[in-house]
Amino acid sequence: MSGIGKVAVIGAGVMGAGIAAQVANAGVPVVLLDIVKEGAASRSAIAEGAVAALLKADPAPFMSRAAAKLVATGNIEDDLGLLADCDWIVEAVVERLDVKQALYRKIEGVRKAGSVVSSNTSTIPLASLISGLPETFARDFCITHFFNPPRYMRLLEVVKGELTRPEAIALVSRFADAALGKSVITPKDRPGFIANRLGVFWIQCAVIEAIEQGLEVEEADAVIGKPMGIPKTGVFGLIDLVGLDLMPHVMDSMIGLLPPEDPLHAIHRPQPLIERMIADGYTGRKGKGGFYRLNRAGGGKVKEAISLVTGEYRPQRKADLEALATTRGDLKALLAHPDPAGRYALRVLGQTLAYAAALVPEAADDVAAVDEAMRLGYNWKWGPFELIDQLGAPWLAEHLAAEGLPVPPLLTLAGDRKFYRIEAGRRQYLGTDGAYHDLVRPEGVLLLADLKLDRQPVLKNGSAALWDIGDGVACFEFTSKMNALDPDTMALLGKSIKTVAKQFKALVIYNEGSNFSAGANLGLAIFAANIAAWTEIEQLVAAGQETYRALKYAPFPVVGAPSGLALGGGCEILLHCDAVQAHAETYVGLVECGVGLVPAWGGCKEMLSRWSAPGRLPKGPMPAVAKVFETVSTATVAKSAAEAKELLFLRPSDGITMNRYRLLADAKAKALELARDYTPPEPVDLTLPGESGKVGMQMAAEGFHRRGIATTHDLVVAGALATVLSGNGADVTKPVTEEEVLEVERAQFMRLIRYPATLARIESILETGKPLRN
Amino acid sequence: MPSYQAPLRDMRFVLYELHQGAGLSALPGLEDFTPDIIDPVLDEAAKVCEEVLAPLNRTGDEEGCHLENGVVRTPSGFKQAYDLFRDGGWTGLASDPAYGGQGLPKSVNALVEEMICASNLSFGMYPGLSHGAYLALHAHGSDELRDRFLPKIVDGTWAGTMCLTEPHCGTDLGLCRTRAVPQGDGSYRITGTKIFISAGDHDLTENIIHLVLARLPDAPKGIKGISLFVVPKIAVRDDGSLGDPNGVTCGSIEHKMGIKGSATCVLNFDDAVGWLVGEAHKGMRAMFTMMNTERLAVGIQGLGLAEASYQGAVAYARERLQGRSLSGVKHPDKSADPIIVHPDIRRMLLTMRATTEGCRALGGWVARSLDIQHHGEDEAARQEAEDLVVLLTPVVKALFTDLGFEAANLGMQVYGGHGYIRENGMEQYVRDARIAQIYEGTNGIQALDLIGRKLPAHAGRYLRRFFHPVADLIAAKVEDEQLGAFVQPLAKAFVRLQQATGQIARVGLSKPEEAAAAAADYLRLLGLVAVGYMWVRMVEVALPKVGTDADSDGFYRAKLGTARFYMERVLPQSGALFSAIMAGGASMMDFEEAAF
Repeated sequence: MSGIGKVAVIGAGVMGAGIAAQVANAGVPVVLLDIVKEGAASRSAIAEGAVAALLKADPAPFMSRAAAKLVATGNIEDDLGLLADCDWIVEAVVERLDVKQALYRKIEGVRKAGSVVSSNTSTIPLASLISGLPETFARDFCITHFFNPPRYMRLLEVVKGELTRPEAIALVSRFADAALGKSVITPKDRPGFIANRLGVFWIQCAVIEAIEQGLEVEEADAVIGKPMGIPKTGVFGLIDLVGLDLMPHVMDSMIGLLPPEDPLHAIHRPQPLIERMIADGYTGRKGKGGFYRLNRAGGGKVKEAISLVTGEYRPQRKADLEALATTRGDLKALLAHPDPAGRYALRVLGQTLAYAAALVPEAADDVAAVDEAMRLGYNWKWGPFELIDQLGAPWLAEHLAAEGLPVPPLLTLAGDRKFYRIEAGRRQYLGTDGAYHDLVRPEGVLLLADLKLDRQPVLKNGSAALWDIGDGVACFEFTSKMNALDPDTMALLGKSIKTVAKQFKALVIYNEGSNFSAGANLGLAIFAANIAAWTEIEQLVAAGQETYRALKYAPFPVVGAPSGLALGGGCEILLHCDAVQAHAETYVGLVECGVGLVPAWGGCKEMLSRWSAPGRLPKGPMPAVAKVFETVSTATVAKSAAEAKELLFLRPSDGITMNRYRLLADAKAKALELARDYTPPEPVDLTLPGESGKVGMQMAAEGFHRRGIATTHDLVVAGALATVLSGNGADVTKPVTEEEVLEVERAQFMRLIRYPATLARIESILETGKPLRN
Repeated sequence: MPSYQAPLRDMRFVLYELHQGAGLSALPGLEDFTPDIIDPVLDEAAKVCEEVLAPLNRTGDEEGCHLENGVVRTPSGFKQAYDLFRDGGWTGLASDPAYGGQGLPKSVNALVEEMICASNLSFGMYPGLSHGAYLALHAHGSDELRDRFLPKIVDGTWAGTMCLTEPHCGTDLGLCRTRAVPQGDGSYRITGTKIFISAGDHDLTENIIHLVLARLPDAPKGIKGISLFVVPKIAVRDDGSLGDPNGVTCGSIEHKMGIKGSATCVLNFDDAVGWLVGEAHKGMRAMFTMMNTERLAVGIQGLGLAEASYQGAVAYARERLQGRSLSGVKHPDKSADPIIVHPDIRRMLLTMRATTEGCRALGGWVARSLDIQHHGEDEAARQEAEDLVVLLTPVVKALFTDLGFEAANLGMQVYGGHGYIRENGMEQYVRDARIAQIYEGTNGIQALDLIGRKLPAHAGRYLRRFFHPVADLIAAKVEDEQLGAFVQPLAKAFVRLQQATGQIARVGLSKPEEAAAAAADYLRLLGLVAVGYMWVRMVEVALPKVGTDADSDGFYRAKLGTARFYMERVLPQSGALFSAIMAGGASMMDFEEAAF
């Protein structure tokens, strides 16, 4: 694939092992080596232990059991020969120049010509790494800086040296993009590259200012988090996550490398509180706790936070800040608020954005790279320059000046212009030359967000839209809040099926939300149930069944292209597609039983049909029914697209795209391929076991109940599911039609939604996000 | 002048037959309240109200309250009546036995409250406010404060007040300016001016215990910076004896449209010593815990006045001779027929009766739910009861006071010109009823509470406690041979209510102003359906009794007749309300402000 058929990773720490797992996830064999562990039973115990740890880690570094088998382990003394046929060798050993260079020399002796060697260093400049090494090595060497955890963090910083061959960079970048699913940016060889350079500054600044403005950690995190589009861990929660002890190391190395005029020096000072915490073992989540901790003293469980004012732990309290309450998500108003919280927001964000502006062109070629680095490396919703655009460059410059802070030249260059603009349907960014340039996507990347710039939807309502994505393919997009499916979604889907039949060759179902869809709008459903609007609910169920069926038998091919969660109704729509092209990070499941319901938009029917396909399971109706019962009654969710295939939420023939950005293009290609010679599927009758099968499933559920695994209401729900899957008293000798299964799905759904225990489950999910086990 | 007779027959119907009041004693803590205990309480309450309080209603209105030398003098006879009332133990009827109260269930106490309001609302304000102060102090005060103040409030030696409103803040209490400065010894000095303080000062008791909202020096701005304090009018020494006056003075009393026998005071607090009740800055929360009980009590004021007005109107309609029946002479022996023969008089009388009895039944349901909420054994049942109370509290407050005022107005109308004459007493009910639509949260605020807080809470869970019983009754009985005729109109109105609820929930999320524009109509719609549901349930109880010996007085027959009127002539208003709600608020909000 992409010219890289085998990879080696040396150094089986958290990062190295994680990188190896992600390579394996891409279906590429990988060798994972570490040093010899003296005295251990196996000389490769470290690498072997690392793989064992990978298999236990949560969230899982591997996407499937098959992937885990692609990792071969060894040690650098006995197994260097394994590198000989590797196309790419990643070094991820301890951050010591002498160790790395010694290893490079060994590698140089065994690697094949044209292979690429890269380091995952985050602190050592590339120039130092190659100094003294042969030019042949330097020509094939670069830095590939992954983020933790490598499976889930989508950023990869690739740094080339002066001697690095452009083809080497291209080879690694292409592989990282298409096979590993990373978004590649190319920082200059400067300390911390882009993401950590800015990230470390931001964290340091946020800590210092919180102490100086007299804020508590909850308050600081509340200001830093949601209002700025930063994950709600804010800054102190983030430090707890990465480890308090890591911060001084990173800070010291950056301080040592950056010139004295760099603004990081100005905010570098001793942190007695943090030093004391580290000394006492409060190193964060991996230690006894950090800025936040769970105090289990006396058998209790009290959420506590350390007070930045007193330095003592005290019960955690929700930040109650006037500045946040009155500005309500208006970032500019928050920054202008005179309260300490407002001052804090201005000081931290102002300095951080100024620092970001100073990184272009010093560390990054353009603003787009900085924004991508912070979005994908730190999970910021908006990059720094997008934030500046929200505030306005002149506004920021004025406020920086008022704080006595220097105004970076890039802000002055921008003047009252934005860093991003839309011109003639194209997204452009402001370059350091003062002119706007098109934002160029890598080849094979198609984004709906880009397409929307130059066109209007073909159809649209409050919950969905239909787009023309070219070449005769239409794209159906969910647009409701959280992509929840509601009557409007169904109405527009029904309308779209008619339109596509007339005007297009194929349909792709896709969106760019963080989740494809977590299912039906439960808020609507429970509200309707609470006001006893039973007819309305039944109509919604029936509408979903009819629409999904129409989708399945439409005269054109339909390709589902999910990413993130595809649960409940979001899973059922995929089950009705002719094919699926899934992002590797897709989490599919029929989770209705968890909220006390059964799948009723054809989910039971389609799963029965898939598992009953000839040759899949032993003969007779029961094996397929039992398999579906097991998966659905436990609300099992596949933890990756690969796992979804094992559970038949996806077909073996369905495609997987590693890079989120490439999903739409891949799905579109698949749709066009199917459209070449398309005939809609024929309805399949099912053979269902009837009453005896139902009793079997109920007995299984009762067994779980007796063992305390299933709750009382689980039994009720399992009974309803068993009724559906067994065909509601079907005669095993008489085939059951799809319509008949749908009717039972609907009837059982309507029966369950009247149970107070079901309504209590739905209420719990909506209000707390947590399932209620009643 | 109308003479009030407590409607004990109907009250017992609501308590025992409709809401299974005999089962109250099955609830833990209410074991004593069997019918043989409850009945004498109701009889005795009726006697006190009819014989002691009702006769003072007119005179109290005429005389009003007077501020003389800084002291408020209540109307003649009030003091003697209060002494009787107190000595009879009525001030502690619903209070905690631990502090000398009698712990009467809410289901019964609500009926006693109705009698008091019907016979003399102005008088009822004094013990009513005391009970409000009792509730707040009981729920949030420290043991020390409770021991110091509660026993004497409960036994009526002292009275109480709730001091919330200030000259510049009523609905928006976040603007409150009264200050409380800690003294370092656990006490505070309170300074500020409170207005519209009912029973703020009077001559009925030796001391008055004020509960005052004020702001601490370090308080956050707005509603989250308000704390609650207890401030006695006269200092109370550690041994419980009275000390010196405590810097609380009555600046003036208001000259009001009605409830003239109730003193509405401007109170000046000048460095008055007080103590914090509950947590600092959590004063509003403390207030809200008693709000459900208080708002139900205000709703009952509307109900009581409607009943009193109805009684006067019926008596008058029977004896007043004017014109002849359009269907032919009914009383040839008389110079004219009594006006009760005329359709429009009957329309008015039945409207009053149908809403009054319907509201009494609905109030009984909420009161019973309060009893379950506080005494129920099963946690789920307690939660369900609380949900229903929370949902229906704004409905009871606003609907009962609106309908109460409308009923009082109809009663006056039945009297024709004589209704407009003070001596006949009917216009006083109109004036007295009017305030209940305003205080304790205006009815507009109640409607906003219903649609803004109650409707969306827990994804509509509160609604379930009302909608499901109604839907179940309709599903079960719509085809019923006898009951069906009553259920069908309810079913029709209920569908309108469901649709309007869905509509408001939908628009409420994205356009709160649009939902707010529908709020008042929606509250009335929900209220009318709730009363309609009560009527069907009452018919269900009454039907088997009609034509039996149990109906020798025609009580059950009249129930069916009143129910029929409600279903045919009142509940159809739901259609108009539905249309108005669905039309949206644009006609109001598009109207140019300058054009008003």
